[in-house]
Amino acid sequence: MNAAATPLSHAPEHAAGGGDALLVQRLAARDAEALRELIALHAARLHRIAWRMTGDAQEAEDIVQEALLRLWDQAPRIAERHPPASQAAEGLRIAGWLQRVVTNLAIDRLRRTRRLSHGEVPDREDDAPRADALAEAYEAGSLARALVGALPDRQRAAIVLTYFEELPNAEAAAALDMNIKAFESLLHRARAALRQAFAAREGGE
Amino acid sequence: MSIETQAHDGGPILPGTPLARALGEGAVPPLSPGFADRVIAAAEAPRPAPLPVSRRRSGRWSGWRTGQRLAVGAAGVVALASAAAATGLLQQLAIPVPSARIVWASIAGTAKAAPAAAPVPAAPPLVAEEPAAPEPVGIAGPIDTPEELGEAFRRVDAVREKRREMRRALVDQRIADEIARRRAAGRPEPTPEQLAQVRARIEEAQARRDEAVAAKVQERRAELEKRVAAGEPLTRRDMLRPLTPRPDQPPGSEALENLRRMAPRERREALRAMSPEERARIAEEYRARRAMAQPAPAPSASPSPAE
Repeated sequence: MNAAATPLSHAPEHAAGGGDALLVQRLAARDAEALRELIALHAARLHRIAWRMTGDAQEAEDIVQEALLRLWDQAPRIAERHPPASQAAEGLRIAGWLQRVVTNLAIDRLRRTRRLSHGEVPDREDDAPRADALAEAYEAGSLARALVGALPDRQRAAIVLTYFEELPNAEAAAALDMNIKAFESLLHRARAALRQAFAAREGGE
Repeated sequence: MSIETQAHDGGPILPGTPLARALGEGAVPPLSPGFADRVIAAAEAPRPAPLPVSRRRSGRWSGWRTGQRLAVGAAGVVALASAAAATGLLQQLAIPVPSARIVWASIAGTAKAAPAAAPVPAAPPLVAEEPAAPEPVGIAGPIDTPEELGEAFRRVDAVREKRREMRRALVDQRIADEIARRRAAGRPEPTPEQLAQVRARIEEAQARRDEAVAAKVQERRAELEKRVAAGEPLTRRDMLRPLTPRPDQPPGSEALENLRRMAPRERREALRAMSPEERARIAEEYRARRAMAQPAPAPSASPSPAE
């Protein structure tokens, strides 16, 4: 099993809060090397999240690049709000900020793609995985992608962040702009839907 | 745990289970080579400035902004309505503008502004505004006493006087408008002598009209006083009966109208008291009026076979 496919193999790549503040100060000073360090620290995880959400490597790279450029653009404002050696600087976590941006961008792109391809969006999304999506993805060689890709957008994000990326529920909830109770409910539904889809798949064979 | 028992379970996905093994399949593609260089080049390239922070993002002041807009809107409506009332626009559009005193009296339910029981509807508010009335007589229900009838006459007179003043003001306004229109068009304005002649002609016409009406009013009032003295209660319809017959009313129907205003018993007695010729004439008039009131039958679309 490769590193990307094994959840436990992904060690958290957190930088300390104070370190994040210094990095943002350098980004605010338009230091390209700071951006390179940031990419080295976070781009791989962000790309995994985006890829598991969209299933498209090129799309995932675009999402990560857009998130990084947003941070580059907003670095002066963030640095102003988190001056060095302050309590705010200690609490600054760039990884969480980037994960939230990447997750939201991925959900936006999924919705946009669905809108463009289907013409109209149903009032309420059916939680059940679509059979054609399952079959198509399975034939492409990845049951995991089929199972995860058949979930509704936010349930998919919950599974990607907590199972594949092993984020604590609180951090995943923050990435989705949800409170912890609502996120746990969402995660519960996502796991149940995943098991239901898997059981249907296994039972059908 | 079997697949069946896991089907509706939202608990954690344990390592080693079939689902965990299935999710572990496949590989995440790595970032393409040169990704960091592309991002840095894009960051350093000139790009449009980011959009400013949305003003509505802050929830602290959004309520105040909404309230501020509502207050400004309400103040604007009040200002426009006050300006329209002050310039007389509402009167020109025939929109009644009650005074504060009348409104308050209607809310408080004071006696001066409670004309609902009075048979003459237009008079009570004017009486309420009339300070010269020493002790207004209340009218409860139908008018059945000479005092109530006198009070009704007084209210009717007050309304007439008020209408006369309004007509004079309207005439003055129209004359002023016409003078202003001629002035704006560059045409010669009437001289004071011409204006005086016009006003005199208008006053004469009004006086002739008043004189013509006065005799009928006196006659009607005498009739009403006679009926009240006989103990007959007068209703709103009696008080508001027009002095002159309607244009569509056929001539000679006064006797028929009087009969219709009577109570059934009185009507029977009045008919018995008439001469046979008079009864026949009234019956003929009644039939003619009914024939006029009924719609004419629609003409046949096709001639009958006999024609």
